[in-house]
Amino acid sequence: MSRGGGVPLRGGLMSFAMTLFATALAAPATPSPTVDEIVARYVAGLGGQETIRSIRTLREKGRITAGPQREAVVTRERKRPSSTRFEFTVQGVTSVFVSNGHRGWKMSPLEGDLEPQPLPDQVVAEAAEQADIEGPLVDWKAKGHQVELAGREAVDSRDAYKVKLTLNSGAVRYEYLDVDSFIRVRSDSTRQLRGHAVQIETTFGDHRMTGGVLFPHLIEVAASGRPQHTRIVVDSIEINPPLSDARFTMSTAGE
Amino acid sequence: MTGGPDRHPLRESRCNDMQPGDGRAAGWKRIAPSFSPGAIDSTGGPGLDSAPSGGSVLRRTAYLLLLAPGLLFADEVHLQGGAVFSGRIVEQTEAMVTVEIGDGVVGVPMSRVESIVKGRSPLDEYDERATRLKAEDADGWRSLGRWASQQGLSAQSRQAYQKVLDIAPDDPAARGALGFVLLDGRWMTEEDSFRARGYVKVHGEWMTRSEAQMEESAATSEQARQDAEQRANQAEADKILAESRAEKAEERAQEAEQTDVWNQTPVYWGGWGYGVTGWPSTADVRWKTGYQPARTQPVTPSPR
Repeated sequence: MSRGGGVPLRGGLMSFAMTLFATALAAPATPSPTVDEIVARYVAGLGGQETIRSIRTLREKGRITAGPQREAVVTRERKRPSSTRFEFTVQGVTSVFVSNGHRGWKMSPLEGDLEPQPLPDQVVAEAAEQADIEGPLVDWKAKGHQVELAGREAVDSRDAYKVKLTLNSGAVRYEYLDVDSFIRVRSDSTRQLRGHAVQIETTFGDHRMTGGVLFPHLIEVAASGRPQHTRIVVDSIEINPPLSDARFTMSTAGE
Repeated sequence: MTGGPDRHPLRESRCNDMQPGDGRAAGWKRIAPSFSPGAIDSTGGPGLDSAPSGGSVLRRTAYLLLLAPGLLFADEVHLQGGAVFSGRIVEQTEAMVTVEIGDGVVGVPMSRVESIVKGRSPLDEYDERATRLKAEDADGWRSLGRWASQQGLSAQSRQAYQKVLDIAPDDPAARGALGFVLLDGRWMTEEDSFRARGYVKVHGEWMTRSEAQMEESAATSEQARQDAEQRANQAEADKILAESRAEKAEERAQEAEQTDVWNQTPVYWGGWGYGVTGWPSTADVRWKTGYQPARTQPVTPSPR
């Protein structure tokens, strides 16, 4: 090999290396994923769309604490497509709230009622949102929701993607997905209370797999500017327990 | 039917006020926690605390199983619609079943009862464990308080933690469980701690001053909107005003009633649960019969 021929080669290599270096400088260290990619990673982390869809019914049992001497045993049941049942037990008295997605009823002995009463429309709407077993981000397009990336924020000193979720009802939530694990770690929503909006911040922790699907077992809820928090600990989760439709309806007097 | 007049000391329960089919709880009454349990056979057979008198072996075996130590079943009265009273059945007649839930007794019309499941109650478990504990066993009482809290037995939890404070007045776990907060080295009630941290109470809820201002602002706006509506139709203004006053009075009355029931502590679910808008306290329950439960002094010590 002649020395004369080597110079252009070294020059070409140098030029190539510099181009690569310049390109690396110009590009971000890790390109920010699109919101579709983020949501896809989130769904994969949950256990995958197919596994999630195989859940037809779900029963979760746990405890809620809202401060000293305010602890109750809770059970939530959900059945596709739109049924929910929520039981709340304190001091041996179990109140029941059910919704089939269109109508809702309650039977709340603590309020003195031993016969079913209709649930207000707003509560039925809340129940209908919770009937979405896998959550609104899964299959969001088919459900008529909208998502967009709203940046990155720290949640408990860890970076999270902030995803703006506009539900088909028009309600807006911000979902925070951990940038490394893509696990949902927080959700911000707004609730109308006595004529003005109150920001509700829900954080999720103690994620564990049940039946191939990832569930949070610790849920903490705080309202903006309020010192009192709600803490829910999920003790057990049953996948596809037999739940008849009758569990999600009641008959009020005259029906 | 067993559980007749001579079987239990709780003959003063208010179930006699009720008529079958009223669809309401008949009453709520506090009782001494040292009540000795006895069960009533919903089938009409002998009670659990009486000697068997020729019942089937199978049924007796089932009863024995239910009484086996460590089993945590309760007498459960299931209502049509799904609500449940869990505790100890202390009386059952054709018209009424009366259940002790650990913080009072509740009479339920049999017309609303779907089924009764006999069993061992967490209250029994609590009493047994409490009986075994020595008065100076702080660890044991603390553990029992935590267990009772996890069962949703607030009254029993309170009793156990109070025992801990009798032994160790500054026990952090007991103090915390009984609602005390350590602020600047001093134990105080939760409410006092909120006040000390600058929160204010509005509509029964503690919040920052800025949140309170927003609440007031919203209330003012709502009032202004209502006023504007009233002015829009001057001809009917008097009528509307009168109706509005009447409605507001009714709303206030309803709100007061609701406040009694839900103990003024709102619950935010954040997408996990619904329907319960405030924290219920059996101490504040007022049944729609108009019966007001006897109020007892809370089992909490003075803040130090």
